Amino acid sequence: MTVKHKQCLEEKIELAIKEKKKRYALYDAMKRGRDSRNAAVPLLPGGKSFFKEVRSIKLRCQEQQEELVQKFAEKVRSRGSSVFMAQDGPEAIQYVLKIVESCGAKVVAKSKSLTSEEIGVNRPLEEAGIDVIETDLGELIIQKVDEKPFHLVFPAVHKTAGEVAEIFRKVTGEEVPEDIDGIMKIVRRYLRPIFLDADIGMTGANVGIAETGAIVIETNEGNARLVTSIPDVHICIMGREKIVDSIEDALQMMLAHPISAVGQHLTTYVTLMAGRSPMGEDDGRAGRESHIIILDNGRTRMAKDPIFKDALNCIRCGACMNICPTYGIVGGHTFGYIYPGPIGIPWTASVHDLEKAGDFASLCISCGLCQDICPAEIDIPMMIAAVKERYSKTHPQPRVNKVMMASEGFAKMGSAMAPVSNWFLRNRTFRWTLEKLLGVDRRREMPPFKRNTLIRQFKRRGPCKTSDPTRKVAFFADLYANYNAPELGLAAIEFLEGMGCRVILPKQKGCGYPYIGYGDLERAREAALFNVRSLLPYAEQGYDIVATEPTAAFCLKSSYPGLLRDSSGAETVAGKVYEFFEYVALLDTLLPPGTLISSELKGRRFGFHIPCHQRSLGAGQGAMNFLKQRGAKVVLVETGTCCGMGGTFGLKKGMLGYELSQAIGEPLFKSFKDAGVDTIVTESSVCSIHLNEGTGFKVLHPLELVR
Amino acid sequence: MDRIIVEQFKVKYESLAGVVHLVADVSEVSGVVCAILKDIKASRIALGELSYGLAGALTENCENEGIDVLKPSYKTSELPQSIEQANAGITMAAFAIAETGTLVEFTLNDSSRLVSSLPRVHIGLVRAQDLVETLNEAAAPIRDFYTQNQKDAVVTFISGPSRTGDIEMRLTLGVHGPETSHVIVIHSS
Repeated sequence: MTVKHKQCLEEKIELAIKEKKKRYALYDAMKRGRDSRNAAVPLLPGGKSFFKEVRSIKLRCQEQQEELVQKFAEKVRSRGSSVFMAQDGPEAIQYVLKIVESCGAKVVAKSKSLTSEEIGVNRPLEEAGIDVIETDLGELIIQKVDEKPFHLVFPAVHKTAGEVAEIFRKVTGEEVPEDIDGIMKIVRRYLRPIFLDADIGMTGANVGIAETGAIVIETNEGNARLVTSIPDVHICIMGREKIVDSIEDALQMMLAHPISAVGQHLTTYVTLMAGRSPMGEDDGRAGRESHIIILDNGRTRMAKDPIFKDALNCIRCGACMNICPTYGIVGGHTFGYIYPGPIGIPWTASVHDLEKAGDFASLCISCGLCQDICPAEIDIPMMIAAVKERYSKTHPQPRVNKVMMASEGFAKMGSAMAPVSNWFLRNRTFRWTLEKLLGVDRRREMPPFKRNTLIRQFKRRGPCKTSDPTRKVAFFADLYANYNAPELGLAAIEFLEGMGCRVILPKQKGCGYPYIGYGDLERAREAALFNVRSLLPYAEQGYDIVATEPTAAFCLKSSYPGLLRDSSGAETVAGKVYEFFEYVALLDTLLPPGTLISSELKGRRFGFHIPCHQRSLGAGQGAMNFLKQRGAKVVLVETGTCCGMGGTFGLKKGMLGYELSQAIGEPLFKSFKDAGVDTIVTESSVCSIHLNEGTGFKVLHPLELVR
Repeated sequence: MDRIIVEQFKVKYESLAGVVHLVADVSEVSGVVCAILKDIKASRIALGELSYGLAGALTENCENEGIDVLKPSYKTSELPQSIEQANAGITMAAFAIAETGTLVEFTLNDSSRLVSSLPRVHIGLVRAQDLVETLNEAAAPIRDFYTQNQKDAVVTFISGPSRTGDIEMRLTLGVHGPETSHVIVIHSS
């Protein structure tokens, strides 16, 4: 990122943080989206596993894409509509202008289409003297103030009713009340003549069905029904990745879109349109045309890119932006170009350019929640890491990012120099210098380093001789349990030994997740390769791999297979990885009932925090049960998104670090305070720093609570 | 079984801000329709393609109440204005899906689509025997429809009235299409 871009981005973040009202409105909107989705998913046939099917349909159709595009086009033509294959935006626009000219159109009524925004079709039409009117309410609002969508599904979610009323006052010249129902009446009256008199109706398509040659258009408002029926000429601009094989595939997509976006079973109106129906009898066919423009604009290239091809599986539900913690503060104007949010980063890089994507990619803090919520299970974090990496070739990483990526080296040094290093870390002048020179925020309290690392201690002591072990475990320590909290690592190992396991500590490095987070995939691969090579022989001998740090478990299990595509070892290792308490819960089922029950924590009450990287693993269930089995009361406190720390992100000074992480954390800190607890339990070493500073409460690892 | 599916449909459709009426047979449809129309003080209504003699019965009843009835075939030159002026549109669904609370309409002429999309009130009719339980069961009839009609053919799923959440994410009905959406489920025909 150039200095100029960074400054510009930091100014935008600062502004967003200051606009508290807008930020909380966005927060509420996103939370409502997530909550309704969470409530609706279990009602689906197959519950959450429904999404596995969505992914498999998308994968299958992407695999046969070329064939399906041809089959679809043939079917569409056989039904009497035209098909135009547009290589890029300008080609599509030229074709649209030709149609406009040939039918002498004056007014184009559009229903919402992101693909049309991708190629910017409105401006050239307007320059040709055509009135282009967006009929989706949200799109209409932002069109009238010349803005881009703030959110995929709710483009105008950042506007209050008062602001919307003001916009329509200007548009209609009428008095517009500030209540939403009143505004609706005005909007309906304003748009009616446009629906009735438009010469061309322009839409996108949510799905194209190769089997029937029909396009599928979903709208809750019903505007697409009107623009596809009344105007004589219909133009649809659709991305080629939308084409699926069969009606059954399309039905699954129709279900997945609204469920994932807002927890709605089906969109209120879904139109499957094939051919061009007449309107009325007698001369009902006169002038009726339908043109389907199938847009490539980089998609074929994407399909050949081993990393970015996954983005073609996107079903455009917007769920990833409903959960993205930084998007939740800055919104889609800062966190996006045309396509906003997490998935917007690889899409922008693919259909626009890397520069534009790189400008906002640094807002991603690699929490991984977008992947967890994605109905097509797209590895969005890995694609964002690739964007960051490619961008860094021409825009060198800021120094602070390099520092964060070098955390393993620093930890090693800090440990070797302890306790001197700890004295320095507590020294205000040193911290001030560290902040000035390296960009590490001086307000963050760093965990002290221990000279006697876990690896060293374990080497001295060796594995316990267990003749007939319940299970064999290769322990993965990562940085914190090795350099900062060897007593925690040792407690974990001893606990497993106490449950009859044989535990060893293989040669290992830190998991290297910061490399993924900041986009140095080469070094991420080096770390992954080292660890996989070291762990693989154990995995093959039946050892389970157990980690206390959630990020380490996540990285080994979810990131390594994606990083080391061609190495079969990564998958084998991943299949053996457990987070510590997930594993304890598994052992509990193998031991005599009641082994873990005690009254050690009777009368104690804890707030529990689930770190993001734990969500796709055991989601903290193991640790919570463990505490409950020991008599504690556990209150799960969550906002459904990240606490804001984002691993090392919150350690960085400035807007793109500490300040943003605090703004994200605000609602969670408040929830903890409202929960009436004074101690928080979490398994993540970095979340605990953030939660401790944000709430003032003591934050402990579950193992610190037991003897 | 039928009754369970009808009940499931009713619960779901009403959760989507729609209104469901259950009638025993075709002869009761007119009465329910007229009551709805009286309620909204309708002076003109538009009909889609209706079967089972419903068009005749409805026309007679409505005209007795002084309500203008527009019905197919519609003259192209008068569209879309004539249907736009109707206070309510009445259409017959090919089938309905209980699990999602959805009416499914098959149309070959866009005038029929206007009947269920332009007026403020939509009344959809469906036979109880045409209810299916799950969305997956929709695939077969849709496939048949597209096989029988190799040219223009439109399938429309309707799950309640026109809705938007675009201002402050607050649910509001009737921004473009119907703000009230009735379904009359006919038990036998």
